[in-house]
Amino acid sequence: MRLSGYEALFFWIFALAAIFAGLLTVMARNAVHSALFLISSLVSVAALFVLAGAEFIAGVQVLVYVGGVMVLFLFVIMLVNVGAEERGRDEIFNKQKQVGASLIFCFLLVAGVLYAVSQGYKGMQARNPPNADAAVQQALRDRSLAVGATRSSRITLDTEKVGSSLYRYASLPFEIASILLLVAIIGSVMLARTLRQEVSADDVDPETLQEEKALDPELAKLEPKSD
Amino acid sequence: MLNLLIPTLAFLFQEEAGRGRLSQTWDAAAHPDLAKFLVIGALLFIIGVAGVLTRRNIIVIFMSIELILNAANLNFIAFSRYLQEMGSVNAVAGQIFTVFVIVVAAAEAAIGLGIVIALYRNKETIWVDEIDLLKW
Repeated sequence: MRLSGYEALFFWIFALAAIFAGLLTVMARNAVHSALFLISSLVSVAALFVLAGAEFIAGVQVLVYVGGVMVLFLFVIMLVNVGAEERGRDEIFNKQKQVGASLIFCFLLVAGVLYAVSQGYKGMQARNPPNADAAVQQALRDRSLAVGATRSSRITLDTEKVGSSLYRYASLPFEIASILLLVAIIGSVMLARTLRQEVSADDVDPETLQEEKALDPELAKLEPKSD
Repeated sequence: MLNLLIPTLAFLFQEEAGRGRLSQTWDAAAHPDLAKFLVIGALLFIIGVAGVLTRRNIIVIFMSIELILNAANLNFIAFSRYLQEMGSVNAVAGQIFTVFVIVVAAAEAAIGLGIVIALYRNKETIWVDEIDLLKW
């Protein structure tokens, strides 16, 4: 795969944007700023997905990550906001020794991963040399696609292919994923309940309930009647 | 260490021998290929790992985990495109795997943030170094 022309230009713009926004996510003092930088990093990665020809995944990324997960993050930040870090009183990083050790670890990881990528890529190119024939055939296949409304691009069949294989070859994992999401919804509702909600659902250990009642007599009123 | 790294870094910006170094570099930069996608993915991954290891705020740690998962997705998509151009029959498998990674990331975020809320209610802190109930 070789991008060229405007695609290459946009590749570098979005790649640098993703990396800078990722760095700022990790370094921002305010958690809300972190979340906003993470959003821009995710959008840049979605643009890279478009450049790699995965339009459907890019759309899913923007809808699910930016529209769903990050809004959840922002809500939680506002629920648990302690406010100390914005005023600059608390240290946002771990102790100096731990940060030093983890940065050394990260540096080694960078070296190792880049070495592995270069070696693996060399080996892969030696095994399957860039095939001029395949590129020509790909261009021919692209030419047979319908022209889009803007007249500057063609409508690919990638999304169709992804959808049909998702239901054909990956239908069991698809169903398992839906069960997983259901379990996650129920689990997060269970985890985020307050003590009062737990008492009124009669879901508290009796001993704990006695202790809590001593602290807060109001709880007795919430208990469901058992006859 | 360095003599290991320099050929590795040089590799990123040169492909064909027999031409000037500068024009090779320019050519490689003007035609990003699979290796560039992999390097961007690796850098995003490392940034995420650094965030998990160094930050104290548990919510920012969760965000770094999202960054790590996204780097993995970028690799999946790049390889999917590469295999598609190599003429592989099952090239969209990478895109399908990415869908599942996104699903699991969403479930993980929901559960993790539920845990954060429960933790904040009981311990009144979001600093991970103050959450040491299992330590003795």
